[in-house]
Amino acid sequence: MGIDIAHYHGWEGKLRSPWWGSLAIVRVAMLQVFRRKSYWVVIGLGGLIFILYWSLIYIMTQFEIGAREQDSIAKLFGFSPVPTAEMDNGYVVFMQRESIAVMILLAFSGSLLVGTDFRMGSLTFYLSRRIDRVQYIVGKLLAVSTVVALMTILPALVLYIEYGMFTSSTAYWRQNWQLPIAVLGYGAVLCAVLSIWLVTLAAYLQRMAPIAITWSSLFVMCGQMSTQLREASDNRNWDLLDPWRCIRLVGKLCFGTFQYPGEYTRSLWALLILTTTCALALAALMRRVRAIEVVT
Amino acid sequence: MQLVDIHDVSRSYGPIKALKHVTLSLEPGTIGLVGNNGAGKSTLLKILLGLLEPDTGGGTILGFDICRAARDLRGRIGYMPEAAAMVPILKGVEYVTLSGDLYGMPHRDAKRRAHEVLNYVGLGELRYRRLEEYSAGNVQRLKLAAALVHDPQLLLLDEPTNGLDPAGRHSMLRLIDDLIAETGKSLILCTHLLGDIERLCEQVVVIDRGTVIRSGTMADLRQRIANRYELAWQEPEQGPGYREALAAAGVQFTSEFDEPQATVVVPDHWSSRRFFELARDVGAIITRLKPEEEDLARVFFRVTDGSATTSTVDPPTQDVAHGN
Repeated sequence: MGIDIAHYHGWEGKLRSPWWGSLAIVRVAMLQVFRRKSYWVVIGLGGLIFILYWSLIYIMTQFEIGAREQDSIAKLFGFSPVPTAEMDNGYVVFMQRESIAVMILLAFSGSLLVGTDFRMGSLTFYLSRRIDRVQYIVGKLLAVSTVVALMTILPALVLYIEYGMFTSSTAYWRQNWQLPIAVLGYGAVLCAVLSIWLVTLAAYLQRMAPIAITWSSLFVMCGQMSTQLREASDNRNWDLLDPWRCIRLVGKLCFGTFQYPGEYTRSLWALLILTTTCALALAALMRRVRAIEVVT
Repeated sequence: MQLVDIHDVSRSYGPIKALKHVTLSLEPGTIGLVGNNGAGKSTLLKILLGLLEPDTGGGTILGFDICRAARDLRGRIGYMPEAAAMVPILKGVEYVTLSGDLYGMPHRDAKRRAHEVLNYVGLGELRYRRLEEYSAGNVQRLKLAAALVHDPQLLLLDEPTNGLDPAGRHSMLRLIDDLIAETGKSLILCTHLLGDIERLCEQVVVIDRGTVIRSGTMADLRQRIANRYELAWQEPEQGPGYREALAAAGVQFTSEFDEPQATVVVPDHWSSRRFFELARDVGAIITRLKPEEEDLARVFFRVTDGSATTSTVDPPTQDVAHGN
């Protein structure tokens, strides 16, 4: 029997909780990001960083090279699959490097994911359905977080598993069982901070150029300023001026590895700074979304 | 069950009173909502959609309390916003599916329904096109499909023919008309194009300065215009003309064209029987005789006391005849 498409047919299902709408926003955001061909250049850059570290682990575990050479390679790339006292945690380093690609991707996609909702009236579409403003904001934050997670947490966990499998020993799993939890913790900090900042920025600036300029200024210029001031005053507290280093310091709280004296205290300060700025950004975002009239 | 049953609803924005003690009781059916810019239409729509709680008063829409069941209410209403409200890069079917997802439909159902309603609104062939490639007319159809996806009881359409050319407007109105006729859904149509309301709606609500000043059926609202008739006739090939006979009896014609049809203004105390007597005298046959009725534009300007200065509603082209 054919399908009757000429006449209207009703639907008698049951509507689910509007929180499912937040997940629909995430799904659509993924379609939007991965359909833009130009974004694949940046995603490819992230892929290259991952392949580099993947190959590094492969060489370190599959080729018979001495401990000194292994140390040299690890120092060259700043990556050690097993946390050492001398070096930064390898997974923090990897996720930090991967975050460069994420930062570029977010700078360009902020306008598409959030800005257009305000500029082209899509927000009216979202809010006139059954979801409310909180569910919309949660959906957008989750969307950006998913992009961040796919490019940082997921590959970091793959590297962890790769190293464990190539070492052919259960000792690695037993001794480093807390590493994936730490990766997830650091990833959560990255996701939360980057998504809240980006969604708020994009909600106010809306167009790609201002978002990209402000976003890169926030990370590059603050970073440069922080470095200059730290070197001039020989005071590592200036690190707290750099959002990137703040995130990294909070990440170290998750991994529990600290390189310099006083780093633990600085990490707590970084946590306070990030929490405050995120709370302020969320309040500003809520205010911005509330200002939108669904019926004009 | 009443479609809309609200009592003494007021809403203020700071010192501005957007709605003042609105009481409205509407039967299910097709309803036109008319008002000037700033009349309180948008505030009323927000309350109907459950997006805004009134300061005072209350009531029900589709049996749902407007203060306590706003979310359930939105699940029963299909809203088509005036704004383009497109989500870039998505394809038509994905956009309608997203609408279903946001209403809370299970994703699989939303996807299946998206295909169904897109076929129904005539976009079956275009459903895999990106939204940026849709014409203005198709965007309106797409927005209608997105409002229909969860099979709502009430459709709330905000300027559905906005920006369409005459053919597109006609086609959109026919689609809505067919949909209402086939499904029996209720419709609230909010537009500045009074012709759209005349064509689709059985009931009209006129709102002005935050108050509902008229509410009723189209027939109730329209008043016969005293002394004006629409007249058409056939004349014998020879002999005195009917037009001349009418003119001699004091009838005025609103146009100078010498055609066997006209809108005429008759003297006071004129009986319509006189038309037939004069026609018999000259051997003419009257083919149409109808007292002229007000169109909605006239009604609107009459009931708003001509205050539609800021409105985009077109003013009536002729003065209202005697007695109005």
